Order: sequence, then structure tokens, then C-alpha cells
Amino acid sequence: MKTAVRQSRSPFRSHSGTNVFYNRLFTAFVWGVSGCIVLFILALLFLILEKGLPSLTWDFIVGLPSEIEEGGGIGPALFNSFYLLLISLLIAVPLGMAAGIYLAEFAPDNKWIGFVRICVEGLASVPSIIFGLFGIVLFVETFQIGLTILGGAISLAFLNLPVMTRVTEESIRAVPAELKQASFALGATHLQTIRKALVPAAVNGLVTGICLIAGRAFGESAVIILTAGVTTSGVMWDFNVMSPGETLAVHLWYVQSEAIVPDAVSISDKAAAVLVFVILAFNFLFRIPLWIRDRKNR
Amino acid sequence: MKWFKSLSVAALSIALVATSVSAAGAASSLKGKIVINGSSALLPLTLQASNEFKKLHPKVKISASAAGSITGPQSVRKGIADIGAVDWDASQDVPGFKKFEGQVAHQVAVIPFAAVANSNVKVDGLSTKQLQDIFSGKVTNWKDVGGDDADIIVVNRAFGSGTRVNFQMKALQGTEFLSKGSNYKEVKSSGDMKTAVETTPNAIGYIDLVYVTNKMKALKINNVAPTEANVINGTYKVWGYGYYMTKGKPDGATKAFIEYVQSAKFQNGSLKKLKFIPISAMK
Amino acid sequence: MQWETSERGPFRKEKASELGGSIRTGSGNAFDRKNRLLFYNRLFKIACVASAVFVCLILFGILFLMFRTGALTFRDVSPVTFFFSSDWAPESDSYGAFVFIFGTLALTLLTLAISVPLSVVIAVFLSEVAPAWLRNLLRPVLDLLVGIPSVVYGFLGLTILIPLLRDITGTNMGDGLLAAAIVLTIMVLPTISRVSDDAICFVPRKYRDASYALGATRFQTIFKVTIPAARSGILYGVILGMARAIGETMAVVMVIGNTPQLADSLFKPTSVLTSNIVMQIANVPFDSTWNNALYLMGFLLLVISLLMIVAVRWLQRKGAAR
Repeated sequence: MKTAVRQSRSPFRSHSGTNVFYNRLFTAFVWGVSGCIVLFILALLFLILEKGLPSLTWDFIVGLPSEIEEGGGIGPALFNSFYLLLISLLIAVPLGMAAGIYLAEFAPDNKWIGFVRICVEGLASVPSIIFGLFGIVLFVETFQIGLTILGGAISLAFLNLPVMTRVTEESIRAVPAELKQASFALGATHLQTIRKALVPAAVNGLVTGICLIAGRAFGESAVIILTAGVTTSGVMWDFNVMSPGETLAVHLWYVQSEAIVPDAVSISDKAAAVLVFVILAFNFLFRIPLWIRDRKNR
Repeated sequence: MKWFKSLSVAALSIALVATSVSAAGAASSLKGKIVINGSSALLPLTLQASNEFKKLHPKVKISASAAGSITGPQSVRKGIADIGAVDWDASQDVPGFKKFEGQVAHQVAVIPFAAVANSNVKVDGLSTKQLQDIFSGKVTNWKDVGGDDADIIVVNRAFGSGTRVNFQMKALQGTEFLSKGSNYKEVKSSGDMKTAVETTPNAIGYIDLVYVTNKMKALKINNVAPTEANVINGTYKVWGYGYYMTKGKPDGATKAFIEYVQSAKFQNGSLKKLKFIPISAMK
Repeated sequence: MQWETSERGPFRKEKASELGGSIRTGSGNAFDRKNRLLFYNRLFKIACVASAVFVCLILFGILFLMFRTGALTFRDVSPVTFFFSSDWAPESDSYGAFVFIFGTLALTLLTLAISVPLSVVIAVFLSEVAPAWLRNLLRPVLDLLVGIPSVVYGFLGLTILIPLLRDITGTNMGDGLLAAAIVLTIMVLPTISRVSDDAICFVPRKYRDASYALGATRFQTIFKVTIPAARSGILYGVILGMARAIGETMAVVMVIGNTPQLADSLFKPTSVLTSNIVMQIANVPFDSTWNNALYLMGFLLLVISLLMIVAVRWLQRKGAAR
């Protein structure tokens, strides 16, 4: 919102010197503080990337972590990050979308459904460590499978499910009613309408939601430490879901605190840079096609 | 939506095929999975041994982690780990910890421990009495023990650490640690202790010799330097045995691994290179 | 194929359950198109209902399991000891969790005290003061920041912030509440400022116009009209930020010192509910009082965050009714 009235020539302009002074002071203050904060945040991002990215080598990215000597890589951890991300998305996205579609399309508008909505929102704001504890009770104690990729992925999926549900519901609700009614008018069934009219129209919001939960799943560490462990099986390209699954985020924490290897600091720097870089890349990859589509439709 | 669906189906089928392939391929020689958990003092030993063992038996998968000695036998009891590395004999009662029923202890190494300080500390050695006073909180300034006028920052290990148990018994003769204070910090593992002492000026802590680097200072205790030679000839008393605990008698890959660690080749080779001491040297 | 005309007239607005009802009357061959479509529709609807029920089940499952394990603590520890004693020494059987409760509360309040003024200033900047090109540049940047993993923030705090704090204030160790609060501020700032930014943009233009028409300067308008009008939205952002600060684990673990002692100074290593759970959960045998105490602390966290959602809902209803 821009200032509605230019202040210099209006007959109602404030003549009091103090008010004008305070106004200028305030503007300067807001510019100053915001400028500092924004610059600080950009400097942080730049610092992470600058400390780590230039010294990245392909060996580091796919190499095995060395336990005691220098020169270890992050290969298995990086692979585990993507693998866990994929499995948890495979679980969370269909379930979340189905639940969201139910809330947006099929649910009657009564108190029970209101209660369900509060449940979903409540679950979405639970601290992530609780899902880790839940995962321990479920997988380590009840099912007795120990610390595995499967346990970690399912706990991650539980973490992301409510967010996906909420995002889907809001995106589908935001689709104009005319679209839906036009589809019904053409004789489509409810399922056909949802599949071919509503979901494509809501895809903008849905992709933002998927991007959000993908970022969260990739960077989450407390849940993984508790349910998938702090070690990998030690080999690259290990697709076995029952092996321990340390992800890159956990590896960063582990190397930083355990620090047995002499070059732990450099490994941590590079791992942090890779993490941030991948998240930024996710965001760009998902947003750019949408942005192009928006410009085309404009 | 369609491309997403077909992509997910493709990915799922690839994963399924790969899992079954990897599971079916292990037909020859020794195979199995070993999970080792527990002492962070023994972790470098475990990691080195597992690297060498994997070269001999490529079909065996070993993963090792450390969160403090007590987690070793606990993980074995919970079934999360096959071997629990611990800095005391967990099949016996030890002050502070009850014995773990049904677990078998295998001696694997002799671990020397040292009191360490940040490299800015000017003191070279401390007596037992001085150590006791520092770690129980009676002495709080380095100038009281011959150093600069600066607060002593005590870094301790969290409860459950074998390093802590051994240091308390052998170096402090059983004195209680302090537990609170604005110059007091607890850390979880040997690696954390190493980071803390290396980066905090005026810090003092204790760690096993394997982790000592040239960024920190290993202090003499009662004028005896903490070296392997001094442990073997008996003048340096702060050391303990390292054990691997298993649920009952081990078999298969686990048994082969423990035997490898206890073999003379490993004990006199890599183990010594890591600054541990072979069990045989202590007779 | 026959088109069935609605006897109720072509222009009547139909309910959701009536739409698509033209296929509902079943007739003819069991596998013809109409019945197949009917089947798929029903199947789909059942799948959706099942998913929604599943999500609710997860919440109840978590509540139930945490409560069941946590409540076992009270077999060995009295509630008064647990909540009010600050002596946490599980090895000697004393389970006073007051240290962590106090730590969590103190850390959250400190974080809010630092981050809320800064966030509101940034929100005002974004919505009122910044030129359009800057606004369109900064908003996506802030959105990006929300996605950076918390370990990275913790790592930065450990490697940059703590030595800095040590040099600036001359204390012996930089760990403690202040370091954790600063790291959390950076994490929570984008959330609060974006939500407040949206809230401020939502204030109807006529409020601002009326204020300017009365001769107010921009400062007076923002301070006395816009911000009070956006109050409930800003509060919503603050509560979101608070929820994130309370539940944050990894970033806090790296900079807070993890020593179970009461934080009577900003630079004393201390511990909060989340950091303590993560540090100690691996060390505990499952059926011990220690484990149950940790789960009780987790249950406490759960209850606090759920209460905040209820508070937000209540606020929104109050704001809408105004």
C-alpha cells in the first residue's frame, strides 16, 4: 500500500514540526533496521555457501565417509537424505492429498469436521521431536525393528502429513466454484471433476505445499536421529530399507560434535553448504516452472 | 499429475527390485549385519577394525556409533545392537551401574586416559590432590595451581560415560565431581569433549589418549606423562580395559569380528597405531 | 447414453452431494461405464475418508502413547517434585524437571522479546515503506529462509556466534540462553515478519485514507491505525513463531551447553525440554523411570503446542467477530 496522499501540497498537511520530524526519523529508523537485518541474513547465507562450496569436489559428494582419517565424503548420507525424502513423500503426498480433498469436497459442515480440522492443524504444529519419540515407541519398542530407514521415512511422513492436508484443502477451496460447476454441467462424475478440473487448477498451491514438505523432510534431523540412527550402512547406493539411515543433516551434526577426524571442521562446512544449496535448488526448481506458467497465463 | 504418478511408480519399482537384488546376491563367504553401539572412547578402535574386517569379508555390513558407554549394553539388551562397546565389565556390578544380566564380556583393548587442558593453559602437570580440588569445584582459578589468573572451566562427561567412570576411580580416587556452576559444562561424548577443550580457553577435561591432538595439552599426573610406555611399566595408573558385550555367546559375523579384534595381528598392528595398548602388554 | 434431466428445474443450485448425482441410479450391465464410474467414485470417497481418519488417528496415537509412557513417571516421582524441583540427577533417582521447564519458558520469552520488535519493523518496511521492486525481491528471500534446516543455524551459531559472544562480552563460555535466543530469533524472524506483513496488507485501505485525510503523517498512521488494525494477524504470527521456538531442537542443542542447571545468567550453560530429550533418550533403558520422565517432558511439549493452536483459533474467532 502506498501513501494515499502526497504530503507536501495537501491543504491538510501537518504544520507541526515535531510530527514531520518524527515521520522522517521513523522512516530512517525503519530503513536502517530493515536494511541491517536483511543484509545480515543475506550475509549469513553467503557465508555458508562461500565457506563450503568452493572446496567441494565430486569425491566429497559421493565418497564414503572416512571414520578416522582425513578426506572423508558424504556420499551415503546424501544418498540417504534423498532416499528418505522420496519414501516419505510417496507416503505423505497421496495420503495428505486424499485427506485434504475429503475436507474440501466431501466433508459436511458440522462440528465433527470442525474438530477434525483442529486435529489436523494441531498435529501440524507439534514439535518435530515428538514424532521422533513416537517413532521410537512404534518402531523400536513395539515392532522391534531397531533404527532403520523405513522407520525414519514413516516418521517423517507423519510429520509432513498434516501440512500436506492443510495445503491441499486450502488450494482446492481456492479454486473458483464456476470451474467445478462447469465440470458437473458437462456430466462428469465427482472423481472425474476432482481429477481433471480441480486438482490441475489448484496445482500452484499444491506444488508450493510439496516444496515446503520436501524442504522440511530434507533438512529434518531430530526425527531422524531418534528413528533412523546416526550411522549409515557404509556403502553407497544401498537401497535396503532396513539399514540405518543417517541423512546429511544428521551427519553434519554428528561430525560437528564427534569430530574424530582431523578435518571435521572442513567436512562440516562443506556439508552445510551442500545442504543449503540443495534446499535453494529445490525452491528454484519448483518455483520457476510455476512462475513461467503464471507469466504465460497473464 | 500423471507424470508424477508414473514417476512414483517407477521409483517404487526400482527400489523394490534393488532391495531384492541386494538381498539375494549375498551367497558366498561370511555375511551378516553387525551393529555396534556404546563407548566413544572405543569408537576409533571399532571403526578401524570394521574397516579392515570389511576388506576381508566384503559381504558383512557393520555400522558403529557411540553415545557413551552405558548405551552399549543397553542397546544390546534392547536388541538395537549386536555388540555393546563399554569401558568397564558390564557383566559385573560396578559403582554406579548394575550388571547387565545375560551379557558376555570380551576384553578387547587397554585404554589410557589423560587429563587435558586447552593449549593456552600454562600448567604442565597436576597432582592428584589438585585434580580432585579442580574437578570437585574447590579450586576455581588457574593461579591456585601455578597458572595464569583465569577461571578454570571444568568440562565433564555426562553420566553413563565409561571415560568418566574410569577417570573418577583412577585419577580422582573416587572424589565426587561438581555438578553445577557457571564455569561448568557437561558433554555427551569423547568427540564433544575434544571439541570443547580445544575451543574453550582455560578449559580442563579428561579424555582417552586416542583423541588427544596437538590442539590441546595432555597434563602429567603426579609428574608422570600420559604415554603408552608409562601405562605398560605401571607408573601411569589412569587406564582401563575396554570390553565388547554381546547377548549370550556370539556367533556368525559377530563372533568373527570379535575374534578379529582380539587377534594378535590387529592388536599389535592397527590397535597400537591408534594409541591403544594391546591386552597382552598388561600381563 | 441417456441424459437425465433434473425434474427440479435446470437453474437450481445443487448441494455437493447432489452434484454428479446423474450417475447414481444404477441400471444395466454390471461393468458398463456408469457402474464402473460409480464404483470408482465410491472407492475414491472411501479412500479420502480413510485418509482423514488416519490423520486424526495419528494425533490420538501420539497423545495416547506419550501420555501412557509419561504417566508412568508418577509411579516413582511425585508431581510436585517433577514440576518444581530443579534437581535433575537421574543416576541418583532425582527427577526434578523444573530446570528444563524454566529453560524452555525463559528461552521462548527471550526469543520473542528480541524477535517481535524486529519482525514488526521488517513487516512494516515490507508492506508500507519499501518500493515495489525491493518488496518483490525480499519476500521470496524471506520465504527461502524458512526452509533452511535448523542444524545449519545451529552450526553457524556454534562456529560463529559463540566465539563472537565470548570475545564481545568476555565471558568464559559463550553457551547459554543468549546464544540460543539469538539463533532462534534468526530462525523465527522470517515467519513472524511474513505473517505480519500479510496482516498489515490486509488492513482496508479506507482506514489509511481516513487517517491521512485527518492530516496524520505516515508514522502516525502506521503506529496508531495500521498496526492496531492488524493486531490479530500480528498476534497470529507471533504465536506461530513461539510454537517454532518452543519446539526447536537441533539448533538449540548445539549452542545451549546441555548442562542440567538452572539458568540464572544469560551465559550459563543450561538445558531446555527439547535439548534434554534428544541428548538423553539414547542413554535410557526403555522401562525405567528416567525414560518415562523424558516422555513426560515430551508430553508437556505436546500439550503446550496444542494449547497454542487452541489459543490461535480463539483469537481468530474473536478477530472475525469484531
